[in-house]
Amino acid sequence: MRYLILSVLMIFMLPSWGTAGYKQEFESEFMTKTWAGVQVEENVCISCHASDKMKPEYREITEAWQASWHAQNNISCEKCHGGDPKDAVLAMSRERGFVGSPQPKNVPEFCGKCHIAIVTKFLESGHGKALMSGHKAPNCVTCHGSHNIQKASISIISEQLCTKCHTYERAKVMKQALFLTESKIEELEHNLEGLKREGIYPVTDERNLFSTEAEFRALFHTVDVNLVKDRTDEFTSRLDKIDNNIQATYRELKFRKNFAAFLMLTFAGMGIVVFLLNQTKD
Amino acid sequence: MWKNLRHWLDVRIGLDGIIQTQVIDYRIPKNTNIFYTLGFLAVIAYILQAITGIVLLIYYVPHPDYAFSSVQETIMTKVPYGWLFREMHTVGSNLLILIVMLHMITVFLMGNYKRPRELTWLGGGLLLIITVIFGFSGYLLPWNQLSYWATTVVTSMPTAFPLIGEPIARILRGGDHVTGMTLSRFFALHVAILPPIFLTLVGIHLFLINRTGISATPFGKIDDEQRPLTEYKRKSYPEGYPYYPSFFQKQMYMMMAYFAIMFFIITFLPTLNFPDAVNSPADPLRTPAEIKPAWYLLAPYQLMKIIPNKFFGIMLQLILLIVFLIWPFLDTQKEKNVMKRPILRGVFIFLLAAWVVLLYWGRS
Repeated sequence: MRYLILSVLMIFMLPSWGTAGYKQEFESEFMTKTWAGVQVEENVCISCHASDKMKPEYREITEAWQASWHAQNNISCEKCHGGDPKDAVLAMSRERGFVGSPQPKNVPEFCGKCHIAIVTKFLESGHGKALMSGHKAPNCVTCHGSHNIQKASISIISEQLCTKCHTYERAKVMKQALFLTESKIEELEHNLEGLKREGIYPVTDERNLFSTEAEFRALFHTVDVNLVKDRTDEFTSRLDKIDNNIQATYRELKFRKNFAAFLMLTFAGMGIVVFLLNQTKD
Repeated sequence: MWKNLRHWLDVRIGLDGIIQTQVIDYRIPKNTNIFYTLGFLAVIAYILQAITGIVLLIYYVPHPDYAFSSVQETIMTKVPYGWLFREMHTVGSNLLILIVMLHMITVFLMGNYKRPRELTWLGGGLLLIITVIFGFSGYLLPWNQLSYWATTVVTSMPTAFPLIGEPIARILRGGDHVTGMTLSRFFALHVAILPPIFLTLVGIHLFLINRTGISATPFGKIDDEQRPLTEYKRKSYPEGYPYYPSFFQKQMYMMMAYFAIMFFIITFLPTLNFPDAVNSPADPLRTPAEIKPAWYLLAPYQLMKIIPNKFFGIMLQLILLIVFLIWPFLDTQKEKNVMKRPILRGVFIFLLAAWVVLLYWGRS
């Protein structure tokens, strides 16, 4: 009987040899392709700009973008430049909304499609007013770069960058005014990451920190030191509230660890008692 | 009060008789070892999964828009001790699969699957499969990046079958991709479809164990069970140890050890089952750098990856599974002691080593 069953199983195996290579496309998908949820469509801007047909300076654009904060947050070419990333022929067609690269004066409007609060404050600033009145003045990419845009931080304000246009004195005072609040924001970001690593999902605090940070950085773009100093207390108090929540969560985590350890020791202790009791009976 | 209650129950269900036959008079062979408690331990682990699962079920919302937040926000942060129940359920599910696997391995090594216990083995094998399906279906429910993409990988595996593979994958997913429909299906599978099947199988398994009697280990001195067994005879051990208190105590300290290990993991390795991807909601548009299924499916997953012909890969696994389930019917040798069967021992060690290697290979 068992030989019969084994024989049937062996015969069952035969079709696999007969259909060798039947699912090679499955293999290639299995091994290499993005796993099918909703498949991410190929972006023709990237594929074309990354190809060997392009001049090196154009190829560098895709490399720079891929290393950027925008890329990490799925902000791809068409979000800024318009056009159709799914259609190779009409990708750069004006009918499909392609706007190309802006003139220096139009950069704030270009970036301001998304960074609304920041561009409003920037246009109120000395930098913004000078730019709009046609003088030589910095725009967004002067400080943040164009394609390799990194997560903004206080380190952008530097003597090397600011002294390209003016002395560093005023910028230094601004940096000092920002320093404590920015350090606190960085510390809170670090602590929230720590909570995530501990298995906590601090979504409310993350949202609050994000909006506080965005408002504070929008305020900074006025380049008005006195305004920043006047409103720092307000932001500090908001950050303190977030900090208190984070500290409370860390305390809760500590409690959880202690409670689980208590249960562990209780069961280990009971186990030892029962084991010794069992040995005695034996 | 207690005496009256006991008498009341005895009149109606024969409580005294049950205690007398199943606890006081029930004898265990003298050469049993600690591995004989693994079946009992599995039952305890299943009960714990049911209790913690019911608590989670109260707060869990099986909808793609709310599933993640109901787990990560509501259960983990708002419900008092919700975190403990979730940790116990998650750690417990992994320990449970480990215990059931260990139970099957030890039963195999002691030859306790041999007749008249073929059906007990078959039931146990099916219970192991059900347990893995429990784990696999529960894995998707938190609807995070890890669970979403692990489910996408595993539900793609049946597509290796020609003709029927795609329909199977579509039935599992409720469409071409892992979506809210998949979540509904897996939720129904996890809480409504699997439990009655599981309870029926456990009932049959326990009935068969009770009917045929406990099997003695071949490693000790006493194994007087005669083969072939041609007529029904319940195996009993009049000279053995009473079940209570000696064997009961063994079961109890194994149970305590189980809980101690579980709380050790919760205390010192709370993120063992919760890597970073668990803290992000499922996002079909963003594929994580590393996608892999849960550890108990890593070996089959890796085997699928390394065999060039996928159909052959899945057929090989299916056949190994069938051979595993019907092994007692194929192995008719009288010798129970695997130490006296070098070929079987060699094949077993090879398969176990291959499984471990594939598991680690799949992890890396």
